[in-house]
Amino acid sequence: MDFPILTVLILLPAAAALLIALVPERRQELILPVGVALSILPIGLAGYLFFAFEKGVAAFQFVEKAPWYEPWGISWHLGVDGISLLLVVLTTILVPISLAASTTIADRLKLFVAMVLILEAGLIGVFLSVDLFLFFVFFEVILIPMYFIIGIWGSDRRIYAAVKFFIFTAFGSALMLAGIIAMALMYGTQTGQMSFDYSDMLQLSMSSNTELWLFGVFALAFAIKVPLFPLHTWLPDAHVEAPTAGSVLLAGVLLKLGTYGLLRFNLPLFPQATVKLVPVLAVLAVIGIIYGAAVATVQPDLKKLVAYSSVSHLGFIVVGIFALTSQGLQGGVIQMVNHGVTTGALFLLVGMIYERRHTKTIADFGGLARVMPIFAGIFLFTSFASIGLPGLNGFVGEFLVLLGSYTTLQPYAIVAAFGVVLAAVYLLWAYERVFTGPITKPENEKLLDLGLREIAIMAPLIALMLVLGLYPKPALDRIAPSTEAVLDRIVSVTDFEVPEPGRLADVFSREAP
Amino acid sequence: MSATYDVLYLAVGPEIILTLGAVLVLMIDVFRKPSARFHAWLVAGTMVAAAVVTWFQWDRVSAEGPFLAFSDMVVIDAYGVIAAFILLMVGALGLAVAWGMVERLGRRGAEGIVLVFMAIAGFQFMAVSANLVMMFMGLEIASISLYVLAGITRERPETDEAALKYFLLGSFASAVFIYGVALTFAGTGSVSVYEIGAFLRGNLVLEPGVLLIGMALLIAGLAFKVSAAPFHVWAPDTYQGSPAGIVGFMAAGAKVGAFAGLGRIVITAFPLYDTEWAIGLALLATISIATGTLLAIAQSDIRRLLAYSGVAHAGFILTGLTVGEAGMPAVWFYLTVYTVQLIGAFAVVAVVAGPTAAGSPLSDYEGLSKRSPFLAAVLALFMLAMSGVPLTAGFVGKFGVFAAAWRGGFEWLVIVALVASVAGFFFYLRVIVLMYMHEPAFAEAPGTMRARPEAVGALRWVLIVAVAITLVFGIYPSPVLDLVGKALPF
Repeated sequence: MDFPILTVLILLPAAAALLIALVPERRQELILPVGVALSILPIGLAGYLFFAFEKGVAAFQFVEKAPWYEPWGISWHLGVDGISLLLVVLTTILVPISLAASTTIADRLKLFVAMVLILEAGLIGVFLSVDLFLFFVFFEVILIPMYFIIGIWGSDRRIYAAVKFFIFTAFGSALMLAGIIAMALMYGTQTGQMSFDYSDMLQLSMSSNTELWLFGVFALAFAIKVPLFPLHTWLPDAHVEAPTAGSVLLAGVLLKLGTYGLLRFNLPLFPQATVKLVPVLAVLAVIGIIYGAAVATVQPDLKKLVAYSSVSHLGFIVVGIFALTSQGLQGGVIQMVNHGVTTGALFLLVGMIYERRHTKTIADFGGLARVMPIFAGIFLFTSFASIGLPGLNGFVGEFLVLLGSYTTLQPYAIVAAFGVVLAAVYLLWAYERVFTGPITKPENEKLLDLGLREIAIMAPLIALMLVLGLYPKPALDRIAPSTEAVLDRIVSVTDFEVPEPGRLADVFSREAP
Repeated sequence: MSATYDVLYLAVGPEIILTLGAVLVLMIDVFRKPSARFHAWLVAGTMVAAAVVTWFQWDRVSAEGPFLAFSDMVVIDAYGVIAAFILLMVGALGLAVAWGMVERLGRRGAEGIVLVFMAIAGFQFMAVSANLVMMFMGLEIASISLYVLAGITRERPETDEAALKYFLLGSFASAVFIYGVALTFAGTGSVSVYEIGAFLRGNLVLEPGVLLIGMALLIAGLAFKVSAAPFHVWAPDTYQGSPAGIVGFMAAGAKVGAFAGLGRIVITAFPLYDTEWAIGLALLATISIATGTLLAIAQSDIRRLLAYSGVAHAGFILTGLTVGEAGMPAVWFYLTVYTVQLIGAFAVVAVVAGPTAAGSPLSDYEGLSKRSPFLAAVLALFMLAMSGVPLTAGFVGKFGVFAAAWRGGFEWLVIVALVASVAGFFFYLRVIVLMYMHEPAFAEAPGTMRARPEAVGALRWVLIVAVAITLVFGIYPSPVLDLVGKALPF
C-alpha cells in the first residue's frame, strides 16, 4: 500500500494537539513556538501534494479507502481533487500564521493551541472526505474547537457569538444529516447495500421532487456556512468577537466549507435541482454582494467592516459557482483561496492594530501612515488585492467570476460588478480615514510600526497575493479538470447547455477544449 | 421453538449470584463489621461472578440458540444477555461512583450495596422474562430498591421528598403496568409473551379495544420508568433530591431495564399491532423529545437539567423502538453509551457537590475548567456526547436510531428529533459555557474541596472508563454494533 499521505495530513495536526499537552506547565513560553513549529509540518505534506498532484486529471487522487462500518456502508474514504487541493494547502498555510499572530493570548494557552490544531485536522478532513458520513463527521466536529476559540478567547460578547455560531451551523447540518441518511437508505433500497460513498451517491436515481428536497437541505446547511443572505447574521458576531486567529481561520477557511460544499455536493449530486434553482441562489448571492458591501461601507468598526466584506466576497463565489460555466466555476474555486488569503491578511492587520491601541473603531485612528508606514503599506496592498486590482490575486477570481456569470447570468453579473466598485469604496475609504491626513489623536502618535515577527507573518500572504495574481496558471491547471467534470455531469444529466463561450477548460487560451 | 427446560439454574444464574451476594453482604455485616475494603472485594467478586455466568449464557445462546426455562417464565436469548451485560456494567460503574456515599453511610453502607444488587437483579429479570407477571416481579424488585436508594442518606428533607415522590408515583406506574397485564390477559387469555403473540396470530380479534388499552397501559407503565414524557414528572425532583452518588445508577439502570422490557413486550407479544404501538411510541417520543429539550433549557440545577435531558433521551431511544425489531440494535447501542455518559456526568456532579449532597446548582460549575481542568474536560465531553457531536459515541447512537426510524418510515419523527437535538445544544453548551467561559466566582476559601473539587479513587477510574467508552465507541463503534446487531428478542 502507498504511503497514506492524506490520513497523515489529517492526523498530523491532531497528534500535534496531543503533543502540545506534553509541554511542561512551567515552560509557558514554549507553548506557542512549539505549536507554530508543529503546525508548519503539514505545509510540507500539503506542498508535496500540490506538486505531486497530477494535472489534467479530474478524479480524486491519492485515494485511500478503508471500511469503517460495513453494514452501514461507511468508509474512511479520502481523496483530493482540483476543488479541494488548494483549500487544503490554504488551510495548512493559514494555521501557523494565525498561531504566530496569537501572542497576546495568555489564558489557557495550551488549550488554545490544541484547539487551533484540532480545528486544522477537522478542516483538512472536511476537504479530503469522499464519504458523506465522514464529511458530516468532520463538518460537525470543527464546530467544537471554533466554539471554544470564540467563547473562551473572544472579546466582550464572545459567549453570545460562540453559541449563536454553534446553533446556526448545527441547525443547518442537522437537516443535512437527515438528507444524508435519506440518500444512504435510498441507495440501500436501490442496490441492496447501504452506502455513504460519494461515488455511489452519484449513481442514485431519484425523482426530481426528491432531488429538490435534498438539494434544499444540503443548500441550507452550506448557505448558513457561506453565509448567504439572509442567513448571515451569525457571521458579524462570530468574526468580530473571535480572537484574531479565530477570525482568520473563520474567514479564511470555515466560510469556504459552504461554497466548497455547494460545489462538491449540490451541483454533482443534484444537477436537475441545481439547474432549476440557479435563480434563487443567484439572487441571494447578489443581494449578499450588494448588501454586504453596503453594510461594510457604513461600519464604524474596522473588524466589522472586514467581516461584512466577507459576506460580499462570498456572494461572488456563489454567483461564480451557479453561473455553471467553466470560467465561473474556476473563478469560484480560485476566489475561495483568494478570499482566504486577503481577508485572512486583513483580519491579521486589524488584530495587529488592536493589540497596539485596544480599539478597532475607525474614528479612533487617523494619519497612522506617518507613524506606521510599513503597516500602512501592507494594509493598502492587501486592500488592493481584496478589491481586485489587476496583477493581484483578487483580480483573477473576480474577473473569472464576472466573465463566467456574464454568459449565463447576465443581469446578475451586471449587478454583481457593482460589488467590486463598492469594495473599492469601503476599503479605500477606511484606508483614508485610518491612515491618511494628520494624526488627530495623541494616543496614535507613539504607535510602533510592525516588528519583524509581524512582517514575517504577513510576508507569506503577500507573496501568495502576488503569485496567484501574476501567475495563476499552476493553480488553475489543477482546478480546471475537476470543475469541468462537474460541468460535464450537469450537462450530460440535464437539458442545460452551456452557451458559448462558457466552456473553455483553459480560460486563458483561445483553444476550445 | 428451541429447547425449553423446567429447571435450569443457568437461566437465572446472574440473578442468583447477585441475590447471594446481597445476602452475603448483609449477613457478614450483621455478624462482623467488615471494612469498606472488604465490601469492595465482595462487590467486585459478585459482579465478576455474575458477569462470568452471563458469559456462559452468551456462550450457550451462541452455540445452541435461545432457550426457555422455569415453565417458560424466563427466556435466555442474545437480547436478554446483552441487557444483562449492560446492566452489570451500569451496576459496576454506578457502585464505584456511589462508593464515597457507601463509605460515608458507615453502618448502613452495606444496605446501599444490597439495594444496588437487588436493583440490577430486578432489571435483569425484566430483560429475560417471557411472562408479563414475571416482568412485573422484576420491575417491582428493582423499583422498590430504587425507592429506598433515593432516600438512603436521610440527611435532608429534600432526600425524603425525592424518595417519597418516587415511591408514590412509581407505585402508581407499577399499578398501571399490572392493570395492563390484567387487561391483556382478559383480551388474550395469557400472560406469556409468546402465547399472547401466538394467540393474536391464530385468532382474529374483532373488538380489540380491551387488548389495546391493556397494551397502552403496559407501555405507559414502562414509559414512567424510563421517564418518557408525559410520565416524567417525578424525574427532576428525584434526581435533584437523591444523593448525588447514586442518581446516575438509578437513572441509567431504570432506562436499561425498562427499555428491555418494553422492547420485549411490543416486539414479541404484539407484533400484529405494530402500527398501533408504533404510533403510540412515536407520539411518546415526540412529546418526550420536545418536553425534555424545552424544559432542560430553563433549568438552573444541573441534576434537573440532566433529568430533563434524560426525558429527551428517552424520546430518542423510543424513536429507534418505533420500528420494533429493526431498531433494537440501535436502541441497545444507544443505551450502552448513554448510560455510561449519564453515570459519568453524575460522577462529576457527585464530586462537585459531594456524594451525599442534594441539589447541584449550575453556578457551582462556573469556571470549573480553571479550578479542576480534568473534571471540566470530562463533563464537557459528556455534554457533547449527549448532544450528539460526531466522534463521540453519542453521535453514533443518535445516528443509529435516526437511521432505523427513517428506514421504518418515521421520517417526520427523525426531523423533529434532529431539530430538537440542535435545540438541545442550548443547554448542553450552557454547562460548557459556565465551566470554560465564566470566571470562577467561588466565595469559599481556595484549597477546599468545594473550590477545587477533585476526583479520587474508584470515581476517577469510572470517569476514565466512561471517557474511553465515549471516545472509542464514537470513533470505532463496529465491535459494539456487531454485537448488538445480534441482540434481537427470541
